Amino acid sequence: MEEYKFLFKIVLVGNAGVGKTCLVRRFTQGLFPPGQGATIGVDFMIKTVEVEGDKIKLQIWDTAGQERFRSITQSYYRSAHALILVYDISCQPTFDCLPDWLREIHEYANTKVLKILVGNKTDRDDREIPTQIGEEFAKQHDMYFLETSAKEAENVERLFYEIAAELIDQARSKDNSSSMNKNLSDSVGLSPQGSKPPQVSCCSGLSNQSSSQTGNT
Amino acid sequence: MTLTSDIDFSSSENVNKILYIIKFEEENLNHNLNDLLAKQCKIEAYMAGINKGIARMNRIINDTKKLDCQIAHTANLVTSVSAKVRRLDLARSRASDSQQRVHDLIDLQLCGQGVTTAIVEEDYEVAAGHINRFLAMDLQLLKRTADDVQGSESSITESVRILESGAIEMREITVRRFEEAVKKDDLASVERFFKIFPLLGHHMEGIEKFSKYICTKLAAKNQKELRNAMDIAKADKRVHLAYADAMTSLLENSARVIEVNQPIVEAYYGHGYLLDMLTILQRQCDVDVKNLINEFVKNRQIDRRKKLVNEIFSRNSNSCSATSNLGHYRMNSGGAIEKLSPKDIDATIVEITIMHSRVELYFRFMKRRVAMDIEECSDDCNTINDKLQNLNNLLQNSDLRRHAQELLGTYLLFERYFMEESVLKAIGLDVHDSGQLSSSMVDDVFFILRKSIRRSLTSMSVNGTCAVINNAAACLDHDFVNALKSHLQQGYPSGYIDLAQAYSAIQNSLQQGKIHSSDNEKARVNFLVYLNNADISTEYIDTLWRTMEQEIAGAYPSMTMVEKQLIESCLSELKSVRDTLKACVDFGMQQLKSSAINPRLHPWVDQYLTHKHQLTEEELAAYEAGETFVQFLIVQIDGFLNTFKPCLTLRNYDALISIVASELTTRLEKAIKKCVFNRLGGLVLDQEVRALGAYLASATSWSVRDKMTRLTQIATILNLEKVSEINEYWNPQHSSELTSWRLSQNEVRTILTLRIDFRMEDIKRIRLQ
Ligand SMILES: Nc1nc2c(ncn2[C@@H]2O[C@H](COP(=O)(O)OP(=O)(O)OP(=O)(O)O)[C@@H](O)[C@H]2O)c(=O)[nH]1
Ligand SMILES: [Mg+2]
Repeated sequence: MEEYKFLFKIVLVGNAGVGKTCLVRRFTQGLFPPGQGATIGVDFMIKTVEVEGDKIKLQIWDTAGQERFRSITQSYYRSAHALILVYDISCQPTFDCLPDWLREIHEYANTKVLKILVGNKTDRDDREIPTQIGEEFAKQHDMYFLETSAKEAENVERLFYEIAAELIDQARSKDNSSSMNKNLSDSVGLSPQGSKPPQVSCCSGLSNQSSSQTGNT
Repeated sequence: MTLTSDIDFSSSENVNKILYIIKFEEENLNHNLNDLLAKQCKIEAYMAGINKGIARMNRIINDTKKLDCQIAHTANLVTSVSAKVRRLDLARSRASDSQQRVHDLIDLQLCGQGVTTAIVEEDYEVAAGHINRFLAMDLQLLKRTADDVQGSESSITESVRILESGAIEMREITVRRFEEAVKKDDLASVERFFKIFPLLGHHMEGIEKFSKYICTKLAAKNQKELRNAMDIAKADKRVHLAYADAMTSLLENSARVIEVNQPIVEAYYGHGYLLDMLTILQRQCDVDVKNLINEFVKNRQIDRRKKLVNEIFSRNSNSCSATSNLGHYRMNSGGAIEKLSPKDIDATIVEITIMHSRVELYFRFMKRRVAMDIEECSDDCNTINDKLQNLNNLLQNSDLRRHAQELLGTYLLFERYFMEESVLKAIGLDVHDSGQLSSSMVDDVFFILRKSIRRSLTSMSVNGTCAVINNAAACLDHDFVNALKSHLQQGYPSGYIDLAQAYSAIQNSLQQGKIHSSDNEKARVNFLVYLNNADISTEYIDTLWRTMEQEIAGAYPSMTMVEKQLIESCLSELKSVRDTLKACVDFGMQQLKSSAINPRLHPWVDQYLTHKHQLTEEELAAYEAGETFVQFLIVQIDGFLNTFKPCLTLRNYDALISIVASELTTRLEKAIKKCVFNRLGGLVLDQEVRALGAYLASATSWSVRDKMTRLTQIATILNLEKVSEINEYWNPQHSSELTSWRLSQNEVRTILTLRIDFRMEDIKRIRLQ
């Protein structure tokens, strides 16, 4: 098995047809797929990237935007480290639905999940949502913001690399602050999942103040 | 000559000598001469042989030349023959062409004559056979032949005219008679004329008309079945599965059409037409399924229940985000809004999974059958691939597919409701039977989760199974963990009472049917039960994902790569809930440490301070005659551990001992540092530390040496004869025997100062590298 330092789960959500699948394909395969159908349920892709010399494995979940798949897609929110909420800058209704999506996210996702708002299809000349409007919406709801074009490969790499970098930062600071005593109330948080999780025997966890062997991996 | 030239002839003796030499030479020469003469004969014989050979060679050369000539000649002959053969072949093929044309001409004549009579006599198969024969002819060529052969022109054009009009007439008749048969619902005639269409070259028309006919029959049948679905189900005592049965029957009806007609279509139409039949059939199937689903939704009150479930979910999610921080777990729904019992919804869930699985089976059957037919047909590769793609699109974009996806969505919603409500119920109705280490909710909750995941397999949807696994992980991580946490957060009530007493008190009260044990006692037992619950759960979760992994592999034997990864990833998410459960155990252990272990352990260890550690020989003897400190300590700890032993799982008990050992050694170390020792005091300490180590080692299955190391080293230092002896122990050469030092140099010096008889200067002087 390949070695990696962190494993992050990224879930893409948003209305049908906004270009989620195209964004994922552009990033993982470097192409703009011609005429593939709507996504059924969820699709799953893995890409390993390198950030500051560390190998990072990204598990990308591409969900179906159509309403009837909602009960499948909802079940993937909980374990997501980052959620990419996509709308189509040339289609007002996809922007108008954002509050509904935020409600879903609030209901199912971890409260500390990293949220990114993405306005896709910047290559189109029939824009309906000005950049500023998207930016403001993102700021109001505590999200990062980026405009992309899966077709022209604009900002797609940047989107995923910045998410990876941000998640690494979070994981590191979390690691430092709570490596000793795992507080129960926030044990659900974002924890780095290396290929070899630190082995803790059933007893040593309680007395690691004195034992020097159980270091970090 | 040389012999003679410088020889002296003066004496006769010399001359004689020379003569002798000459004579000798002459004999030699004669001898050589004879040898040469003897060879002459042989050489002459060789020469004769060579001459004969030359003559023979000449003859061979002549023969070869002749052969060469002959070969060239033969080659010429062969070329000319093969040209003739080629011409012959051509002639023969022309002859067969002509023969074919003659046949065609004869058949044309015969067909022309036959078709009219056959039509008149309503012998349509024969008439269509004639037309089919006619359609297979090359008309252009026939016309040219007609031009070549004088006189026959008129008869040929006449036959062609008759056959052409016969073809038109036959088509009209076939269409008319087919429709009459449909009106009369005369299946035999329908099939009769269905078989005639391809003979007339109207394949598509035949398939279309026939398929539409079948569709009307199918629609009537399906409608009737749907109308009677409830009655049939009642008769079979399967009311709860009425719509699953109706769906099964509906899809089987469609599948049977393909199954029954495939041999006829392939025999009379050839391969590749099944797709066209399915296209028409699927339209009808979509309509009928829609009716069925509408009935189902209405009758089973799906919309109302979905709305209710969604309301309960959103209410729960609002209330739990507010309370979960306080460590309360959410309660079973009930009270205010209309209730929807998990049991009530259970039957519908089963019904939906069956419906969904039937659709999956239907798609698989159709796909396999029609794809096989497409692959058999003689088209080129691209056309075949296009047709396969069309088949795929037809099925994927069908209303049936969409309905199935919606059904799956409903199933997942209900399954999640069932699972969460049942889990909350199991938590709410938790009972602890005395004598058991854990309470009922652990078994119950894992039973429910396994039931749900297992049931998802019967839906035959990998996506559905993944979602249920995700929901199970969420349910554990949330409701179940919160339930554990809320109990553990209440802590282990301190106060001096033996656990064994608490247990028997509760047992007594249970037997007597009244509770009179104190709240504290109950709370203590409760805390330990939940500590065990958490520990057992970490084990159960491993079993759960392992068995599910196996069952999934069995249920979906032909998963795609992506599906395998999906399942694997969802299972590993379930697996990782174990970490949260483990954190619960650790949390509980910390609670136990601060409220039960430390308050009791500390006073026992602190007893050490009350003893004197500068002893004379007599004092030592007196001390050892009575109960020594370590004897007292071991008795206390042993009693303490024994009260917990029957109430804890093996792992939890081991963890408890580990905490006790750690706490004991650090506390004792602190006490030691507050005392002053002489040589005998150090000796006693060393013995007592050894005794303590031996006791702890006997109490557990794992090694406690590690936890005792610092204490052992401290005792070793305090038991030294002279300060300088320290170097023997500290010396790196000995490091292999002694585990490495856990004490720093400063600590060693500080400990040395505890010995009253060691001089400060000596301690300062020691060099430790
Ligand atoms: N011009 C333009 N078109 C795009 C872009 N990204 C996607 N599209 C088009 O938008 C359509 C939908 O794209 P998908 O990626 O399938 O959309 P989706 O969000 O995955 O849709 P669902 O799977 O149904 O949720 C396709 O026709 C794409 O060609 C883009 O950046 N620019
Ligand atoms: Mg998609």
